[in-house]
Amino acid sequence: MKKYSLLATGLLLLSHSLAAPLALAAEVDVDALIQEAERASYYSGNDGRSDARMMIVDNQGRKQLRQFTILRRDVSDNGDQQMMVFFSRPSDVKDTVFRVEKHVDVSVDDDRWLYLPALDLVKRISAGDKRTSFVGSHFYYEDVSGRAISEDTFVLQSDEADAYVLKATPKAPDTVEFTYYVVRINKTTKLPMEINFFKANGDNYRRVEAIKIEDIQGHPTVVRSKVSDLQTGGYTLMEFRNITYDLGLDDDVFSERSLRNPPQQWLN
Amino acid sequence: MTYLVNEVCVTLHNNGSTKMKLRPSLRHALRLLCLTPLLLSGVHVQAQQVSVPPEKPTQDEWDMGEWAEPEQQTYRINGFVEAAAGWRLSDDPVINGRSTLADLRVQLQVDRDFSQSRISLSADVYYDGVLDQAKAQVRELAWQGNLSSLGQWGTKVDAKLGQQVLTWGTGDYVFLNDLFAKDFQSFFAGRDDEYLKAPSLSAKFSGYFDWANIDLVITPEFTPDNYINGDYFSFFSPQYSPISGTNVAPRFSVTGAQLPASPEYAVRISKSLGSTELALYGYRGFYKSPSSMTDTGLATFSALRVYGASAITPFAQGLFNAEFAYYDSTDDGHGTHPQIPNSQARYLLGYEQELVKNLTGSVQWYLERTADYASLLSHSLTPEFEPAHSRIVVTQRLMYRALQQTLTFNAFNFYSTSDADGYLKFSTDYSPTDDWRLTGGVNVFYGDHPHTFFNQFADASNAFIRLRLFY
Repeated sequence: MKKYSLLATGLLLLSHSLAAPLALAAEVDVDALIQEAERASYYSGNDGRSDARMMIVDNQGRKQLRQFTILRRDVSDNGDQQMMVFFSRPSDVKDTVFRVEKHVDVSVDDDRWLYLPALDLVKRISAGDKRTSFVGSHFYYEDVSGRAISEDTFVLQSDEADAYVLKATPKAPDTVEFTYYVVRINKTTKLPMEINFFKANGDNYRRVEAIKIEDIQGHPTVVRSKVSDLQTGGYTLMEFRNITYDLGLDDDVFSERSLRNPPQQWLN
Repeated sequence: MTYLVNEVCVTLHNNGSTKMKLRPSLRHALRLLCLTPLLLSGVHVQAQQVSVPPEKPTQDEWDMGEWAEPEQQTYRINGFVEAAAGWRLSDDPVINGRSTLADLRVQLQVDRDFSQSRISLSADVYYDGVLDQAKAQVRELAWQGNLSSLGQWGTKVDAKLGQQVLTWGTGDYVFLNDLFAKDFQSFFAGRDDEYLKAPSLSAKFSGYFDWANIDLVITPEFTPDNYINGDYFSFFSPQYSPISGTNVAPRFSVTGAQLPASPEYAVRISKSLGSTELALYGYRGFYKSPSSMTDTGLATFSALRVYGASAITPFAQGLFNAEFAYYDSTDDGHGTHPQIPNSQARYLLGYEQELVKNLTGSVQWYLERTADYASLLSHSLTPEFEPAHSRIVVTQRLMYRALQQTLTFNAFNFYSTSDADGYLKFSTDYSPTDDWRLTGGVNVFYGDHPHTFFNQFADASNAFIRLRLFY
């Protein structure tokens, strides 16, 4: 909730009751809302698969494309997750596989592996800054796997007709490049539709948008999204296709075996 | 960038007209390849002129050009064309010419997926301008799949049968329990890292069980490393070099009766405990480089058994790895045979961490402890050139990614504290589009003594450049 409007509302109602604005704020349980938004964005079904295509456009208009299939399995809702990303195009990354064991406990680093087919090498990757480019795109690793909601403090900024607008401030500001971000969460789907990232001087330098939503097995799902670097003009489009939830993916699928010998039945 | 590319082309043309003895058709192809980046940079300039991206992505943009429809075909064909050139930084008195790398290469990859398996081919055809030879290498021609059709037990077993590249172990450019074939000529010359591993015709069986995973690799015909033999780089000979004052470049290859007739067996048993991965290894075969000599003075590969273990685990902000291997030189059990390597215990400790955003650093400490060392010295014909009882190598790697990961810098340094020598490998990759990648770098060998492991290759120090066009 905007401090200004809160103050204005408060002043307006001061003569009547001090409790009124507090009651208004209490209507929206911010903690519950961000948990719902996290579930809607990253935890639809118990597991899922999707084909994905990305187009990376740099500030000079040069384009790169990436095509891959994602398999995901939730260990628990809003909890740990297993993920595999199988690249099929372009040809220099074909058959490269990326595996993540995501831990929501921020004190435990995610486990990550990369399979490089030309060397038949399974390479364990050290925990890195999650706010670095995912395969050269404007998406960060964290945009793909989800930033733990426990890492930020959320405040309701405004309650609009179709959306809640929250301001998030990092609890560990030294670990991220933003000072705060503002996220619009759709009231019906609970999906974050737009996230704007700001520097300390109020400069809005980065935007993540959900462009197109489809209902898949009862789960509203972002099928097109865009990340823009508002400073350089570069951006990345990501499109998901052939999405299926609740396939019954087994724990075994998320293993070294699948790095070297991809589980074709879930990929095609 | 254009300047660099021009330089490659000029040099390739020069080589072409002098030492490479290119046939007219190849020379034409090379010129075409050299023109391509100029064309690409033309596109680049045009793109710059229309650099304002639209505010909102249009419907057309979401078609993503030729990727409008997902791939449906059952087989896929792709690959690349590459030109590569490299030059010695100084003359080598025993090798004519400065050229260390002059490849014009085509790689073709074809895959066909079936419901439970896949057949894949990856083959290189290239003209090697240093040797003036056309060459072919099948890097992969293999069937990979599950053995469930053989019975219930088979659901837990995968096989990969055929020509293939194999890798395991925890080291970074340092191999203890990985006895699969390596190509040091390519590594030293500055070919892409993928060529550090040479293919072998092998059968690999991988069993995935609750208690552990087991990999068994059988290579029926012994596949040696592509060792340094004098073709491109000379090496120190304890017999001849002290007399001549130079390295030797005999351009030898071990053939016939000196090649082992028995198969190679390699096994790994691995298990994950939480975030920690543990493995045990075994190998039965032969030294992969001809480090032994027959009684008649011919180079050969003596028998070798290796037993080892490794662990890798997250530690502090990074990854810690440890590996051990015991090299049992079974043809020289007591270290008394001067022409056969002694047994060794090899140890590796490593740590890797992202230092700052996009910059990753790693260090490794490696020890080779020679068994029966007193016996080695007393039986050696040239004890003054034997390595120290404990040969220690430390390595450092720095990798930096810039420009949205289109530009990568990689510096890797081996330094031996016991030999006072080292090897610095630096390379940089630039690939702002999916269509091409330009790579340049240096391999620098340095040290105090002419006979030590790395410094014997001081005259092999080189600079290289490669341009790869993907199709």
